[in-house]
Amino acid sequence: MSLDDEAVAAIYREHGPMLRRVVWRATSDANRVEDIVQEVILRVWRQAPETDNLRAYLITTARHLIVDQHRAATRRPQQTALVDLPVDDADLDRALDQVLVEEALGRLQPDHRDVVRCLYYERLSIAETSKRVGAPEGTVKSRAYYAVRNLRAILDEMGVTR
Amino acid sequence: MTVGSDDLHVLLGGYLLGGLSDADHRAFTEHLRGCSACQAELGQVSGLPRLLDLAGPAGGPHLSPDAEAAEAVAVDAPDGVDDARVARLLSAVAQKRRTRRRWLAAVAAAAATVLFGAGLWLGPRLTAPPDLPTTHVVASPAPGSSVRVDVALVTRGWGTQLDLDCEDMPTAGQLTLYVIDRQGASTAAASWLGTPTGYSRLTGATALRPDEIRRLEIRDGAGQVLASATT
Ligand SMILES: [Zn+2]
Repeated sequence: MSLDDEAVAAIYREHGPMLRRVVWRATSDANRVEDIVQEVILRVWRQAPETDNLRAYLITTARHLIVDQHRAATRRPQQTALVDLPVDDADLDRALDQVLVEEALGRLQPDHRDVVRCLYYERLSIAETSKRVGAPEGTVKSRAYYAVRNLRAILDEMGVTR
Repeated sequence: MTVGSDDLHVLLGGYLLGGLSDADHRAFTEHLRGCSACQAELGQVSGLPRLLDLAGPAGGPHLSPDAEAAEAVAVDAPDGVDDARVARLLSAVAQKRRTRRRWLAAVAAAAATVLFGAGLWLGPRLTAPPDLPTTHVVASPAPGSSVRVDVALVTRGWGTQLDLDCEDMPTAGQLTLYVIDRQGASTAAASWLGTPTGYSRLTGATALRPDEIRRLEIRDGAGQVLASATT
Protein backbone atom coordinates (compact mmCIF):
# COMPACT_ATOMS: atom_id res chain seq x y z
CA MET A 1 0.00 0.00 0.00
CA SER A 2 1.13 3.56 -0.57
CA LEU A 3 1.74 5.82 2.39
CA ASP A 4 -1.63 7.47 1.79
CA ASP A 5 -3.47 4.16 1.79
CA GLU A 6 -1.68 3.03 4.90
CA ALA A 7 -2.42 6.29 6.67
CA VAL A 8 -6.11 6.21 5.75
CA ALA A 9 -6.50 2.55 6.69
CA ALA A 10 -4.70 3.16 9.98
CA ILE A 11 -6.90 6.16 10.83
CA TYR A 12 -9.98 4.16 9.94
CA ARG A 13 -9.00 1.16 12.04
CA GLU A 14 -7.90 3.19 15.02
CA HIS A 15 -10.55 5.89 15.10
CA GLY A 16 -13.35 4.43 12.95
CA PRO A 17 -15.23 2.62 15.74
CA MET A 18 -15.17 5.70 17.97
CA LEU A 19 -16.31 7.94 15.10
CA ARG A 20 -19.09 5.52 14.16
CA ARG A 21 -20.43 5.54 17.70
CA VAL A 22 -20.22 9.32 17.96
CA VAL A 23 -21.87 9.92 14.59
CA TRP A 24 -24.49 7.26 15.17
CA ARG A 25 -25.47 8.68 18.54
CA ALA A 26 -25.43 12.25 17.26
CA THR A 27 -27.46 11.66 14.12
CA SER A 28 -29.63 8.66 14.98
CA ASP A 29 -29.45 7.66 11.36
CA ALA A 30 -27.79 4.28 11.01
CA ASN A 31 -27.88 4.43 7.21
CA ARG A 32 -25.71 7.49 6.98
CA VAL A 33 -23.18 6.73 9.73
CA GLU A 34 -20.68 4.98 7.51
CA ASP A 35 -20.89 7.68 4.82
CA ILE A 36 -20.28 10.44 7.33
CA VAL A 37 -17.41 8.60 9.01
CA GLN A 38 -15.69 7.95 5.69
CA GLU A 39 -16.23 11.53 4.59
CA VAL A 40 -14.66 12.74 7.86
CA ILE A 41 -11.58 10.57 7.31
CA LEU A 42 -11.30 11.60 3.66
CA ARG A 43 -11.52 15.27 4.58
CA VAL A 44 -8.84 14.93 7.24
CA TRP A 45 -6.65 12.95 4.85
CA ARG A 46 -6.99 15.66 2.21
CA GLN A 47 -6.28 18.43 4.70
CA ALA A 48 -3.29 16.49 6.10
CA PRO A 49 -3.33 18.68 9.21
CA GLU A 50 -0.21 19.11 11.27
CA THR A 51 -1.67 18.12 14.60
CA ASP A 52 -0.52 16.04 17.52
CA ASN A 53 -4.13 15.40 18.45
CA LEU A 54 -5.66 13.60 15.50
CA ARG A 55 -8.62 12.34 17.51
CA ALA A 56 -9.73 15.84 18.43
CA TYR A 57 -9.23 16.92 14.82
CA LEU A 58 -11.40 14.05 13.55
CA ILE A 59 -14.10 14.81 16.08
CA THR A 60 -14.07 18.52 15.23
CA THR A 61 -14.34 17.64 11.54
CA ALA A 62 -17.25 15.29 12.28
CA ARG A 63 -18.90 18.05 14.29
CA HIS A 64 -18.68 20.46 11.37
CA LEU A 65 -19.91 17.87 8.91
CA ILE A 66 -22.92 16.99 11.05
CA VAL A 67 -23.77 20.64 11.62
CA ASP A 68 -23.51 21.36 7.87
CA GLN A 69 -25.70 18.40 6.97
CA HIS A 70 -28.16 19.35 9.64
CA ARG A 71 -28.41 22.90 8.32
CA ALA A 72 -28.85 21.63 4.78
CA ALA A 73 -31.62 19.30 5.91
CA THR A 74 -33.32 22.12 7.82
CA ARG A 75 -33.35 24.25 4.68
CA ARG A 76 -35.00 21.40 2.80
CA PRO A 77 -37.55 20.07 5.27
CA GLN A 78 -38.75 17.33 2.94
CA GLN A 79 -35.29 15.76 3.17
CA THR A 80 -35.29 14.14 6.60
CA ALA A 81 -31.67 13.08 6.60
CA LEU A 82 -31.02 13.60 10.27
CA VAL A 83 -34.10 12.83 12.24
CA ASP A 84 -33.47 13.33 15.93
CA LEU A 85 -31.30 16.39 15.81
CA PRO A 86 -31.82 19.36 18.07
CA VAL A 87 -32.80 22.66 16.49
CA ASP A 88 -29.88 25.01 17.02
CA ASP A 89 -26.11 24.75 17.11
CA ALA A 90 -25.84 25.12 20.88
CA ASP A 91 -28.17 22.17 21.39
CA LEU A 92 -26.27 20.20 18.79
CA ASP A 93 -22.97 20.97 20.52
CA ARG A 94 -24.46 19.83 23.79
CA ALA A 95 -25.69 16.61 22.23
CA LEU A 96 -22.24 15.96 20.78
CA ASP A 97 -20.57 16.69 24.10
CA GLN A 98 -22.94 14.24 25.72
CA VAL A 99 -21.95 11.55 23.25
CA LEU A 100 -18.28 12.35 23.76
CA VAL A 101 -18.57 12.19 27.55
CA GLU A 102 -20.28 8.83 27.27
CA GLU A 103 -17.59 7.71 24.87
CA ALA A 104 -14.90 8.90 27.29
CA LEU A 105 -16.52 6.93 30.13
CA GLY A 106 -16.39 3.88 27.88
CA ARG A 107 -12.67 4.36 27.41
CA LEU A 108 -11.91 4.46 31.14
CA GLN A 109 -10.49 1.23 32.44
CA PRO A 110 -13.26 -0.87 34.05
CA ASP A 111 -11.99 -0.43 37.64
CA HIS A 112 -12.08 3.31 37.24
CA ARG A 113 -15.43 3.31 35.45
CA ASP A 114 -17.02 1.30 38.28
CA VAL A 115 -15.80 3.81 40.84
CA VAL A 116 -17.18 6.75 38.83
CA ARG A 117 -20.52 4.95 38.51
CA CYS A 118 -20.75 4.21 42.25
CA LEU A 119 -19.46 7.52 43.59
CA TYR A 120 -20.90 9.96 41.07
CA TYR A 121 -23.96 8.46 39.46
CA GLU A 122 -25.18 6.24 42.30
CA ARG A 123 -24.08 8.66 45.02
CA LEU A 124 -22.56 5.88 47.16
CA SER A 125 -20.00 6.65 49.85
CA ILE A 126 -16.40 5.48 49.67
CA ALA A 127 -17.25 2.83 52.27
CA GLU A 128 -20.26 1.56 50.28
CA THR A 129 -18.28 1.58 47.05
CA SER A 130 -15.53 -0.38 48.75
CA LYS A 131 -18.05 -3.14 49.61
CA ARG A 132 -19.66 -2.99 46.17
CA VAL A 133 -16.45 -3.42 44.20
CA GLY A 134 -14.72 -5.64 46.77
CA ALA A 135 -11.64 -3.45 47.20
CA PRO A 136 -10.24 -1.66 50.29
CA GLU A 137 -11.32 1.96 50.88
CA GLY A 138 -7.78 3.22 50.20
CA THR A 139 -7.90 1.52 46.79
CA VAL A 140 -11.28 3.11 46.02
CA LYS A 141 -9.85 6.53 46.90
CA SER A 142 -6.86 6.14 44.66
CA ARG A 143 -9.02 4.74 41.83
CA ALA A 144 -11.28 7.77 42.15
CA TYR A 145 -8.22 10.00 41.91
CA TYR A 146 -6.84 8.31 38.80
CA ALA A 147 -10.32 8.00 37.25
CA VAL A 148 -10.72 11.77 37.46
CA ARG A 149 -7.27 12.43 36.00
CA ASN A 150 -7.71 9.92 33.19
CA LEU A 151 -11.19 11.12 32.33
CA ARG A 152 -9.88 14.67 32.01
CA ALA A 153 -7.02 13.46 29.80
CA ILE A 154 -9.38 11.43 27.56
CA LEU A 155 -11.75 14.38 27.17
CA ASP A 156 -8.85 16.71 26.38
CA GLU A 157 -7.72 14.25 23.74
CA MET A 158 -11.22 14.35 22.23
CA GLY A 159 -11.14 18.12 22.13
CA VAL A 160 -13.78 18.51 24.87
CA THR A 161 -12.16 21.34 26.76
CA ARG A 162 -14.86 22.84 28.93
CA MET B 1 -9.76 6.93 59.53
CA THR B 2 -6.46 8.70 59.14
CA VAL B 3 -4.48 9.43 56.03
CA GLY B 4 -0.88 10.63 56.05
CA SER B 5 -0.51 14.19 54.80
CA ASP B 6 1.56 12.98 51.83
CA ASP B 7 -1.39 10.84 50.72
CA LEU B 8 -4.02 13.54 51.14
CA HIS B 9 -3.89 14.61 47.50
CA VAL B 10 -5.53 11.35 46.33
CA LEU B 11 -8.67 12.48 48.14
CA LEU B 12 -9.16 14.96 45.31
CA GLY B 13 -10.89 12.18 43.35
CA GLY B 14 -13.49 11.51 46.03
CA TYR B 15 -13.77 15.24 46.73
CA LEU B 16 -14.78 15.85 43.13
CA LEU B 17 -16.93 12.74 42.56
CA GLY B 18 -18.47 12.66 46.04
CA GLY B 19 -18.52 9.94 48.69
CA LEU B 20 -15.82 11.15 51.09
CA SER B 21 -16.51 10.61 54.80
CA ASP B 22 -16.93 13.80 56.85
CA ALA B 23 -13.48 13.32 58.35
CA ASP B 24 -11.82 12.88 54.94
CA HIS B 25 -13.77 15.79 53.50
CA ARG B 26 -12.56 18.04 56.33
CA ALA B 27 -8.99 16.78 56.00
CA PHE B 28 -8.90 17.42 52.26
CA THR B 29 -10.52 20.84 52.51
CA GLU B 30 -7.83 21.83 55.01
CA HIS B 31 -5.08 20.34 52.86
CA LEU B 32 -6.40 22.15 49.81
CA ARG B 33 -6.03 25.54 51.48
CA GLY B 34 -2.27 25.11 51.73
CA CYS B 35 -1.47 22.90 48.71
CA SER B 36 -1.01 24.79 45.43
CA ALA B 37 -0.55 21.53 43.49
CA CYS B 38 -4.00 20.28 44.50
CA GLN B 39 -5.51 23.72 43.86
CA ALA B 40 -4.12 23.69 40.33
CA GLU B 41 -5.26 20.14 39.71
CA LEU B 42 -8.73 20.84 41.01
CA GLY B 43 -8.90 23.83 38.67
CA GLN B 44 -8.20 21.54 35.72
CA VAL B 45 -10.86 18.98 36.58
CA SER B 46 -13.54 21.21 38.09
CA GLY B 47 -15.53 21.17 34.83
CA LEU B 48 -15.97 17.39 34.99
CA PRO B 49 -19.17 17.17 37.08
CA ARG B 50 -21.01 19.37 34.59
CA LEU B 51 -19.77 17.16 31.75
CA LEU B 52 -20.67 13.98 33.63
CA ASP B 53 -24.19 15.33 34.09
CA LEU B 54 -24.55 15.55 30.31
CA ALA B 55 -24.46 11.75 30.22
CA GLY B 56 -27.73 11.61 32.13
CA PRO B 57 -28.53 10.21 35.58
CA ALA B 58 -27.02 6.79 34.81
CA GLY B 59 -23.93 7.92 32.91
CA GLY B 60 -24.95 6.65 29.48
CA PRO B 61 -24.64 3.36 27.65
CA HIS B 62 -21.12 2.43 28.74
CA LEU B 63 -22.16 2.41 32.37
CA SER B 64 -25.10 0.09 31.75
CA PRO B 65 -23.92 -3.25 30.34
CA ASP B 66 -27.16 -4.15 28.46
CA ALA B 67 -27.32 -0.96 26.44
CA GLU B 68 -23.63 -1.20 25.68
CA ALA B 69 -23.98 -4.68 24.21
CA ALA B 70 -26.94 -3.56 22.09
CA GLU B 71 -25.02 -0.59 20.77
CA ALA B 72 -21.99 -2.69 19.97
CA VAL B 73 -24.15 -4.88 17.75
CA ALA B 74 -25.64 -1.89 16.00
CA VAL B 75 -22.44 0.04 15.34
CA ASP B 76 -19.38 -2.18 15.51
CA ALA B 77 -18.90 -4.42 12.56
CA PRO B 78 -17.08 -7.75 12.61
CA ASP B 79 -13.57 -7.76 11.14
CA GLY B 80 -14.53 -9.02 7.68
CA VAL B 81 -17.07 -6.29 7.14
CA ASP B 82 -14.55 -3.80 8.44
CA ASP B 83 -12.06 -4.86 5.76
CA ALA B 84 -14.71 -4.27 3.10
CA ARG B 85 -15.29 -0.81 4.53
CA VAL B 86 -11.58 -0.06 4.46
CA ALA B 87 -11.45 -1.21 0.84
CA ARG B 88 -14.34 1.10 -0.04
CA LEU B 89 -12.66 3.98 1.72
CA LEU B 90 -9.38 3.33 -0.07
CA SER B 91 -11.07 3.26 -3.46
CA ALA B 92 -12.54 6.67 -2.60
CA VAL B 93 -9.02 7.82 -1.74
CA ALA B 94 -7.74 6.54 -5.09
CA GLN B 95 -10.58 8.31 -6.90
CA LYS B 96 -9.83 11.60 -5.18
CA ARG B 97 -6.14 11.15 -5.90
CA ARG B 98 -6.84 10.72 -9.61
CA THR B 99 -8.98 13.84 -9.54
CA ARG B 100 -6.19 15.73 -7.81
CA ARG B 101 -3.65 14.52 -10.33
CA ARG B 102 -5.88 15.58 -13.23
CA TRP B 103 -6.19 18.94 -11.57
CA LEU B 104 -2.42 19.20 -11.18
CA ALA B 105 -1.92 18.20 -14.80
CA ALA B 106 -4.43 20.83 -15.93
CA VAL B 107 -2.68 23.48 -13.85
CA ALA B 108 0.68 22.42 -15.32
CA ALA B 109 -0.70 22.50 -18.87
CA ALA B 110 -2.19 25.95 -18.31
CA ALA B 111 1.15 27.15 -16.92
CA ALA B 112 3.01 25.72 -19.92
CA THR B 113 0.64 27.49 -22.35
CA VAL B 114 1.09 30.81 -20.60
CA LEU B 115 4.82 30.28 -20.53
CA PHE B 116 4.96 29.44 -24.20
CA GLY B 117 2.85 32.45 -25.14
CA ALA B 118 4.93 34.78 -23.01
CA GLY B 119 8.14 33.37 -24.44
CA LEU B 120 7.02 34.18 -27.96
CA TRP B 121 6.41 37.76 -27.07
CA LEU B 122 8.99 38.57 -24.47
CA GLY B 123 11.91 36.38 -25.32
CA PRO B 124 13.50 33.63 -23.25
CA ARG B 125 15.15 35.84 -20.62
CA LEU B 126 11.89 36.63 -18.87
CA THR B 127 10.97 32.97 -18.67
CA ALA B 128 14.19 31.98 -16.87
CA PRO B 129 13.84 29.78 -13.73
CA PRO B 130 13.41 32.62 -11.18
CA ASP B 131 10.06 33.41 -12.83
CA LEU B 132 8.94 29.80 -12.74
CA PRO B 133 9.92 28.06 -9.51
CA THR B 134 7.97 24.85 -10.30
CA THR B 135 8.02 22.82 -13.52
CA HIS B 136 6.01 19.67 -14.15
CA VAL B 137 7.24 16.92 -16.41
CA VAL B 138 5.71 13.55 -17.22
CA ALA B 139 8.31 10.82 -17.61
CA SER B 140 7.65 8.58 -20.60
CA PRO B 141 7.82 4.85 -20.02
CA ALA B 142 10.71 2.91 -21.53
CA PRO B 143 9.76 0.28 -24.15
CA GLY B 144 8.11 -2.67 -22.41
CA SER B 145 7.30 -0.63 -19.33
CA SER B 146 3.93 0.88 -18.41
CA VAL B 147 4.88 3.05 -15.47
CA ARG B 148 3.50 6.54 -15.12
CA VAL B 149 5.58 9.14 -13.32
CA ASP B 150 4.72 12.80 -12.86
CA VAL B 151 7.58 14.92 -11.59
CA ALA B 152 7.36 18.42 -10.19
CA LEU B 153 10.70 20.23 -10.10
CA VAL B 154 10.57 22.84 -7.38
CA THR B 155 13.33 25.44 -7.25
CA ARG B 156 14.88 25.72 -3.80
CA GLY B 157 17.72 27.80 -2.43
CA TRP B 158 19.76 24.61 -2.04
CA GLY B 159 18.96 23.11 -5.46
CA THR B 160 15.86 21.31 -6.73
CA GLN B 161 13.16 19.43 -4.91
CA LEU B 162 11.69 16.58 -6.96
CA ASP B 163 8.11 15.59 -6.11
CA LEU B 164 7.23 12.27 -7.70
CA ASP B 165 3.81 10.80 -8.29
CA CYS B 166 4.32 7.22 -9.53
CA GLU B 167 1.67 4.85 -10.82
CA ASP B 168 1.70 1.30 -12.19
CA MET B 169 5.19 0.77 -10.81
CA PRO B 170 6.82 -2.59 -10.05
CA THR B 171 5.24 -3.86 -6.82
CA ALA B 172 8.52 -4.94 -5.25
CA GLY B 173 12.22 -4.25 -5.38
CA GLN B 174 14.22 -1.07 -5.13
CA LEU B 175 13.56 1.90 -7.41
CA THR B 176 15.89 4.83 -7.87
CA LEU B 177 15.52 8.29 -9.35
CA TYR B 178 18.61 9.61 -11.14
CA VAL B 179 19.24 13.18 -12.26
CA ILE B 180 21.58 13.65 -15.21
CA ASP B 181 23.31 17.02 -15.63
CA ARG B 182 24.36 18.86 -18.80
CA GLN B 183 27.71 17.06 -18.78
CA GLY B 184 25.99 13.67 -18.67
CA ALA B 185 26.94 12.84 -15.07
CA SER B 186 24.17 11.01 -13.22
CA THR B 187 23.45 11.14 -9.48
CA ALA B 188 20.82 9.30 -7.43
CA ALA B 189 18.28 11.77 -6.01
CA ALA B 190 15.88 9.33 -4.34
CA SER B 191 15.44 5.60 -3.77
CA TRP B 192 12.42 3.68 -2.50
CA LEU B 193 10.79 0.25 -2.50
CA GLY B 194 7.94 -0.85 -4.74
CA THR B 195 4.54 -1.01 -3.01
CA PRO B 196 1.80 -3.65 -3.50
CA THR B 197 -0.53 -1.08 -5.09
CA GLY B 198 2.18 0.06 -7.50
CA TYR B 199 1.47 3.59 -6.38
CA SER B 200 3.81 5.87 -4.46
CA ARG B 201 4.31 9.53 -3.83
CA LEU B 202 7.68 10.74 -2.64
CA THR B 203 10.14 13.59 -2.67
CA GLY B 204 13.78 13.57 -3.77
CA ALA B 205 16.43 16.27 -3.77
CA THR B 206 19.43 17.32 -5.82
CA ALA B 207 21.97 20.14 -5.51
CA LEU B 208 21.50 20.88 -9.24
CA ARG B 209 19.29 23.81 -10.24
CA PRO B 210 16.37 22.94 -12.56
CA ASP B 211 18.16 24.46 -15.58
CA GLU B 212 21.21 22.28 -14.86
CA ILE B 213 19.14 19.07 -15.04
CA ARG B 214 19.06 17.55 -18.51
CA ARG B 215 17.31 14.26 -17.85
CA LEU B 216 15.52 12.33 -15.14
CA GLU B 217 15.52 8.54 -15.07
CA ILE B 218 13.70 6.04 -12.89
CA ARG B 219 15.53 2.72 -12.77
CA ASP B 220 14.76 -0.60 -11.15
CA GLY B 221 17.08 -2.62 -8.89
CA ALA B 222 18.88 -4.13 -11.89
CA GLY B 223 19.64 -0.67 -13.30
CA GLN B 224 17.04 -1.03 -16.06
CA VAL B 225 15.48 2.32 -17.02
CA LEU B 226 11.69 2.21 -16.44
CA ALA B 227 10.88 5.79 -17.41
CA SER B 228 12.72 8.93 -18.34
CA ALA B 229 12.05 12.59 -18.95
CA THR B 230 14.05 15.26 -20.70
CA THR B 231 13.57 18.64 -19.10
ZN1 LIG C 1 -2.11 18.40 47.61
